[in-house]
Amino acid sequence: MRQEGAVNPSNHSSAIVVVENLVKRFGGFTALNDVHLTVAKGEKIVLCGPSGSGKSTLIRCINHIEKHDGGRIVVDGVELVNRMADINSVRCEVGMVFQSFNLFPHLSVVENCMLAPMKVRGLSRPEAHERAMGLLRKVRIHGQADKYPAQLSGGQQQRVAIARALCMQPKIMLFDEPTSALDPEMVKEVLDTMVQLAGEGMTMVCVTHEIGFAREVADRVVFMDQGSIVEEGEPASFFSSPRTERAKGFLNQIIH
Amino acid sequence: MFGVLFEQTADGQRYIDWLLAGLGWTLALAFFGWWIAFAVGVIVGIGRTVQNRLVTALARLYVEIFRNIPVLVQMFLWYFVLPEILPSRLGDAIKQIPPPWGSFFPALVCLGLYTAARIAEQVRAGIEALPKGQTEAANALGLSPLLTYRHVIVPQALRLIVPSLTSEVMGIYKNTSVALTIGLMELTAQARQISEATFQTFTAFGAATLIYLVLALIAYQSMMLIDKAVRIPGSTPAKDAVEPILADDVQSGTALPHGMEVVK
Repeated sequence: MRQEGAVNPSNHSSAIVVVENLVKRFGGFTALNDVHLTVAKGEKIVLCGPSGSGKSTLIRCINHIEKHDGGRIVVDGVELVNRMADINSVRCEVGMVFQSFNLFPHLSVVENCMLAPMKVRGLSRPEAHERAMGLLRKVRIHGQADKYPAQLSGGQQQRVAIARALCMQPKIMLFDEPTSALDPEMVKEVLDTMVQLAGEGMTMVCVTHEIGFAREVADRVVFMDQGSIVEEGEPASFFSSPRTERAKGFLNQIIH
Repeated sequence: MFGVLFEQTADGQRYIDWLLAGLGWTLALAFFGWWIAFAVGVIVGIGRTVQNRLVTALARLYVEIFRNIPVLVQMFLWYFVLPEILPSRLGDAIKQIPPPWGSFFPALVCLGLYTAARIAEQVRAGIEALPKGQTEAANALGLSPLLTYRHVIVPQALRLIVPSLTSEVMGIYKNTSVALTIGLMELTAQARQISEATFQTFTAFGAATLIYLVLALIAYQSMMLIDKAVRIPGSTPAKDAVEPILADDVQSGTALPHGMEVVK
């Protein structure tokens, strides 16, 4: 398995994701309005904001699960337009973890992890199996490899989902509220896995409201409201002294 | 009561042999027709859910045509009309096919394509019942639309619709009786022939009825076993997950009145 080399987060010279003037509409509703975001290699970004602020839509545009209506998205040097080949090559480099896990229920845990490496990357079955088991071990769930998703707890399913995404050896990982659907006692096991991944130098964009995680891991916190980026900054300064009223109001609501 | 079935017929057989020969044709028609229906139905059902508008429209057209024309009429179209509208050499060649194959093939195509339209609707319902997150997760992993259908969507959709496919399995073998109208000596036709030869109407059709009932029971039990075998471990039974939208009774009635008139 290829390990991402640790990248000094202060060195943001090499951008791996560039989002410029991004516009996304759902019917008459503008979900994203002229959004700019640059993610450097190895950088960890936490996206937060009230519900409906467009943070999930933004990361879903990065791997083209949502089609954007305006602006540019360049991922690892490839611009996302409507060419399926480009889209699929970008998707291979971008792993995604969903709020609702979205494991394939008809495949066992290890088969969930093997499917894309075999069918998309062209790995042989033994190769894919070896890689899957390695990553399942990393998320400490290799003992359940032959079970089916419905037989696992939410936290276990989400760790499998992380391992499944990692099996494609992506350069970037997107997390769309990965702990929001979990029972409270399962949040930590998933966050621990994400912290571990961050420690290995993975480029990460996380939509999450886990302040502890953001403080520990994020290089930058990006606050969105009503389809725009309102404020961004280092987690320490953002959480202790937000500059905008909207960010202040939001933080007051989520910090009890 | 069924003693007459073991009596000698004019051609030296026993009446039960007629019945069994009919059963053979019924089973052959239902079995091979089912595989045609299943293959075409899955493809058309997928076609109704893809992004491409032209494909969706063609799939929709197929379903509406084959589902909404009565089986009996379709049977006549394949048997009487098709050879006439084809180029005359081809049409003549079709008419030259010796019996019983000359009746069997049109009946096979008719039942296969008719049932396919119904299966296509079940497949479409099964696909649409899946959470959107499944497609999104597959896309996010870089699976192409084709691979997504092949490995993620269709395997789940088919599991979901096994219970409602049961009624299609039962439907196609009941509809085989319509083939008697184009001269295939299947089970109902043989029963009618026995009834005409022996005047034992009750016995002849009673035996056919019993055989149909046993077949239904076997079909039902087999589908239950299949449902159990493909069930995803840890999941709840998929039963009733998709309401059979077209649970209206299959037109098994259309053939019978025809047969009954003769009996009276």
